[in-house]
Amino acid sequence: MRSKPKLLWIDAVSCNGCSHSFFNIDLSFLDDFELLYHPLLPSGDFKIQSSDILIVEGAIKSNFLRLGFDLNELISKLFFKAKTVIALGTCAVYGGIFGEGLVFNKTSKGKFFKCKDKVINIPGCPAHPEWLFYVLNMLKENKKIVLDELNRPVEIFSYTSHMGCTRNEYFEWKVDAKRFGEKEGCLFYYFGCQGPFTHSSCNKILWNEVNSKPRAGTPCFGCTEPLFPKENLFQTETFMGIPANIPLGVSKRAYLTLSGIAKSLTNERLTKRLIKCENEDKQKDN
Amino acid sequence: MKINKKIINKIEGEATLKIYGDKVIEFAEIEFWQYRGIEKYLQNRHYMDALVINPRVCGICGHSHLLATAKVIENAFGIKVSKKAEILREITTGLEIIQNHIKWFYVTLYPTLIQDKSLILKSLSITSFIAKIIAVIAGQFPHNSYIIPGGVTCDLTNLDILRVKEDLKKLQEKIDKIIDKNGDSNDLKRLFEKMDKNIGKGLNRFLVLGDNLYFKPTGDLTFVKEEKTKSLSKNALYKDEFFEVGPLARNLHHPLIKSVYENYQDSVYTRIFARLYEMHLILEKILNEIDKIDMCEPSFIDYTPRNSEGKIAIEAPRGSLIHSIEISDEKIKEYNIIVPTQFNLSNSTKEKPSPAQAALIKEDIKWSDFIFKCFDVCAVCNTH
Amino acid sequence: MREKKKLEIMHTALKLFAKKGFFNTTIADIAKEMGMSVGNMYNYFPSKESLAKELLLYTARIFGDEIKKINEMDISTKEKIKKIVELYFKKAKEEPELVDYFMRVYLSNKEIFSNGCEGMLCVSPFVTEIMIFFEEGVRKKELKNQDFFAAFGLFMGYIGGLAFLNRENILGKSLDEYIEPVSENIYNALKA
Repeated sequence: MRSKPKLLWIDAVSCNGCSHSFFNIDLSFLDDFELLYHPLLPSGDFKIQSSDILIVEGAIKSNFLRLGFDLNELISKLFFKAKTVIALGTCAVYGGIFGEGLVFNKTSKGKFFKCKDKVINIPGCPAHPEWLFYVLNMLKENKKIVLDELNRPVEIFSYTSHMGCTRNEYFEWKVDAKRFGEKEGCLFYYFGCQGPFTHSSCNKILWNEVNSKPRAGTPCFGCTEPLFPKENLFQTETFMGIPANIPLGVSKRAYLTLSGIAKSLTNERLTKRLIKCENEDKQKDN
Repeated sequence: MKINKKIINKIEGEATLKIYGDKVIEFAEIEFWQYRGIEKYLQNRHYMDALVINPRVCGICGHSHLLATAKVIENAFGIKVSKKAEILREITTGLEIIQNHIKWFYVTLYPTLIQDKSLILKSLSITSFIAKIIAVIAGQFPHNSYIIPGGVTCDLTNLDILRVKEDLKKLQEKIDKIIDKNGDSNDLKRLFEKMDKNIGKGLNRFLVLGDNLYFKPTGDLTFVKEEKTKSLSKNALYKDEFFEVGPLARNLHHPLIKSVYENYQDSVYTRIFARLYEMHLILEKILNEIDKIDMCEPSFIDYTPRNSEGKIAIEAPRGSLIHSIEISDEKIKEYNIIVPTQFNLSNSTKEKPSPAQAALIKEDIKWSDFIFKCFDVCAVCNTH
Repeated sequence: MREKKKLEIMHTALKLFAKKGFFNTTIADIAKEMGMSVGNMYNYFPSKESLAKELLLYTARIFGDEIKKINEMDISTKEKIKKIVELYFKKAKEEPELVDYFMRVYLSNKEIFSNGCEGMLCVSPFVTEIMIFFEEGVRKKELKNQDFFAAFGLFMGYIGGLAFLNRENILGKSLDEYIEPVSENIYNALKA
């Protein structure tokens, strides 16, 4: 029998959100791993040691103490003693709010760029627990995880978070949400939704198995992307009324042509409220 | 005198405890060394960005930071929200408190005395069930931003509400098995089999500043001041004194909790009991509120931003949480956060100790970890 | 062959529309001018409305293609403005009927186009290129970021107005001489 993979989970500069996100799936599969250390779950005492899989949660940053060590030195030591490194969450992948990522620092090269071959990036703020579940189990079973140019698993990050959004029909017909708190309308034009150009599968592999931000009326903030969090997260950046960022893979000319046509051909059904309250008209009169 | 310095981990983040004394704790200093700089990060950003950034203060209680952020902006602009939005907010933030308490009890506190992996897995299956209920309303948990100034972003159907209500009832059954309505808890009994219920008494001085859920403020947040310490966190004082905030402070009026308090004062046991029992009180409150939702009310009411300042407090899992903001041209000029851990785990002198310092002093050194953690330390919040 | 014939008919129609007005021109008039039978005319265009619609698409495509070329040039936004003004004035001089048609028939008789030419459907190639021109100008920080139609109206209304004045023989100078000052004014009004 093969021995269990040794798993070491270290928290760098983080909010622990990726750990708490991870707690939302059935953790009994961790029995197949030897958990050397985790910042919250019971494990052996922390020591610098070799591991088969090192999970780094959080960003790296100078002059930051962790478990009595300088954080950067600690991560370096653990990194080089690990066979595979999982950068978990946008902080560990790109730096996020708190610092620098391992392989990338926002859109430039990070401290561990030269060793990127042993790193698997799982961005997200937080990372979706099933994404990590997938990577850990693939590693355990010695299966090949196909990665993209940013070392992200293709099976998860070849999607956009727009795919599968329940508001897709509104996007198609260019019916824009004009106010928050309504199930109707697309959040792309006025409210900063980054779904059409954000790599993630949030609307395919749902959150907590039931929902996603755009389904709940909150725009996608692009939390899996290198520049998260951008400025003005609830507003769409436009140049002369034209969205500064357009769906991935389409030319601006093609997108403008298509959206102009869609806008000209009104979809009557989508311009009305889906469900009308009996006393809604009465309320408006008052 | 011997000084024993130890790093307390397996909490949210980590703290350093410097214990003076050999067997008995003469004095203890509490240090936090992981500053992250969220308040600075917010400066010059659009005020709405705070709704995305502030939840990232903390992975376990970020939703409370979201509520506080929306409320402080509403306070600055003078915005009112619909009853529907208010009830939904109470449900999701109330549920966050419950998941926090379960994780704290089984994942943080329990293993300091009893290692039982099955308990941890069982407790996490309950908290993930709670996260799912929150997600039906809020989109996801952790780290959603569905609470916004003026209301909430979601527009639920009756089916969603029915589902939430059914799940809340199921949750009630699950919580009954942790601690029942009479306050009986096998897991709590097991924890105290080898321990004195009377240890870890604090200052016996309590403070409640938030008014969400069923909580009633006992103080005025304008009297709260921050003070620098040797480490990277700040102390929080009320009228220049230290006070204990949290579940014990805000539930002292409840007959059952009051009777435990009368027997054991503000000991570790009372503190833990109050925290566990609070889950029932919150659940009762939100189950009562959910039937009052009028689906025809708007989820969001529009408003006009203006240059202004705001300051509010809410009751978060660990106690009173204060956010204050200064907005100019829709941008954040100043943002300040004071978290419950700053109140409970301030670092002061032997003569004027904070609640946690007072609770540690004169106790056996072997209980230091347990006493410290019974305050439900949030180091990541503390070092925002 | 057929396409060529269609084009010829369209040009003839343009001339007649300009001379007699859109409403006063009948399919029979166009057939007569072409030396065709009315029956044969209907093989090409089943109605005057369908002819009007195709003319619009044709005009929008001509302008769209030309502006696209300008958009793809590696020059400043200021220079692009001048190129667009130049293009428009050139067309106004060489094919005044085309510009006339767009101004007088399309913009002032939108009801004719309500079936199949709603919104921007038939002028999409032209509007798309203008959008790209504006968007890139703002992106390069050469134009002020503002509402699309506020900018569009200023640009197109202005040069359309001059073409109209020229057509009415009110301008004292030739249209060419206005390229420079008009471009300058547009740039000054729209610049960042």
